[in-house]
Amino acid sequence: MPAFPLLTFCIPNCIQYPVMKEAVLAVDWSSDEPVYEQIARQIRAQIASGSLPPGASLPPVRTLASDLGVNLNTVARAYRLLEDGGFVRIRHRSGAEVVAPASRPDATARERLRGQLRDVLERLRQAGVPPDELRRIAEREIAALQAGRAGDEGVIR
Amino acid sequence: MNPWAFLGMSALVNLVVAGFALLYPRVVRKGLLFGVYVGEEASEGEAARELTRGWNRAIPLSLVASLLLAAILAVSMPEPWSFVVPVHLQILAFLGLYVRWYFRAKALAPPGPPPPAVAPLFDTRRTSALLPALTLAAGVGCGAFVVAYAWSHYAELPATIPTHFGPSGEPDAFRPKSFFTVMLLPIMVLVLGTFLGGMTWLTAHAKRALRRSAERTSLEAQLRFRTAMTRYLSGVSLLAIAMLTMITVMTIRVGLGLDHRLPPAVAALAIAMGVLAVGGGIYLALRYGQGGARLEQARKDTPLTDGLADNRNWVLGMFYVNRDDPSFLVERRFGIGYTLNFGNPKAVALVAGFAALIVLLVVVAALTN
Repeated sequence: MPAFPLLTFCIPNCIQYPVMKEAVLAVDWSSDEPVYEQIARQIRAQIASGSLPPGASLPPVRTLASDLGVNLNTVARAYRLLEDGGFVRIRHRSGAEVVAPASRPDATARERLRGQLRDVLERLRQAGVPPDELRRIAEREIAALQAGRAGDEGVIR
Repeated sequence: MNPWAFLGMSALVNLVVAGFALLYPRVVRKGLLFGVYVGEEASEGEAARELTRGWNRAIPLSLVASLLLAAILAVSMPEPWSFVVPVHLQILAFLGLYVRWYFRAKALAPPGPPPPAVAPLFDTRRTSALLPALTLAAGVGCGAFVVAYAWSHYAELPATIPTHFGPSGEPDAFRPKSFFTVMLLPIMVLVLGTFLGGMTWLTAHAKRALRRSAERTSLEAQLRFRTAMTRYLSGVSLLAIAMLTMITVMTIRVGLGLDHRLPPAVAALAIAMGVLAVGGGIYLALRYGQGGARLEQARKDTPLTDGLADNRNWVLGMFYVNRDDPSFLVERRFGIGYTLNFGNPKAVALVAGFAALIVLLVVVAALTN
């Protein structure tokens, strides 16, 4: 967002919006995944990949809903989901702001998320993924996270 | 009015409309065809080209036929039918052609779900917010000023006041003073000024429709188009507001005997508004294309998204109806500019309310005159 509205008439758009040019999300109408989940998942992936750095502003709920042609409640639900996960901070009437990762892990949250991770691993195992493959998947995702890019389930581009 | 003079004006208007209709296939967003999303590949196929060639033949033929019919009716029918019927026949002929081509294009639309919706995760809507805000402020401000000005001079006005001015600027019609004859024009300026300013503001905040895998180019093109479109609408609106404000103030001043005629500036403003409206429209179409279509590099693998690509949300390719979508205005599929989301009750109520108010004022004006 330009700081001085008057300048918007004489500065090319490519200079006004130098960051986050690649930050877009897509909603697939043929997918079984609910739309709010699709939105939350992609924003999460972009935060993890660094496309949306800490402090970056997400568009207001109305703007995003209008652009995607979806209900306001759908986007609001996605933002709430992200807030619950500690990814964003919702601002009244002006969208949301990406939150920096916590400097020290909270013990309770850590245990809860570890439980969720175990649950996912168990489901993968039940789906027929062998332990070696499970380890490779986990290592690949951790490496992707450290390299600042999305893993297998990355940004839709 | 001389029927031939009216026919000449009508022919001029129809020539402009037909010109835009012929221009349309050259400036349309790739993937769209006569109000239908047929996909980027099909829109360049032989069937689509044949449809466009047929359109290019039908428009001039329809124009000539309707003008001939209009000429016959203009001299054979009594007033006001000699004016009303030919104009409406020409409009109906044009709409009939469009609907026929819409259904022919619909047969080319691909089956299955529409392409995914795509949205940028940053807000660019305030790019053009200042000028629309100024236009809205000018509309409300000038309207409030003329209402206050007319009301403050109401008691001083004589028993008869001018209600119409001829081409020379001299008053050529007078009516007895009443609340309606004095206040109707100022109230109309306030309503119309607010409406024009409001539509300009809404245009700057309209829904964005991007191209997948080419969002960056598409967004740049669309932002440039939107800025140009907002400037165009603001320019036309500001000229209209200035002209109407001047006419209202001068009507009161002529009524008070402080002046005898409208200044030449009123005619100059009217001409400037007409030139900007038509010339600006042609420039926008040729320079930017539909929604910036001529600036974006559309390829076959970069499909349109969102509101423009979803055929389920469009009735006859003209009316966007999406109850989930909170947008007020969306980009047109046929033509240049923006149209209302008829699925948004707030948008419909706002525009229908203003339109009803303007119609009511026109009817009251016609009855009191």
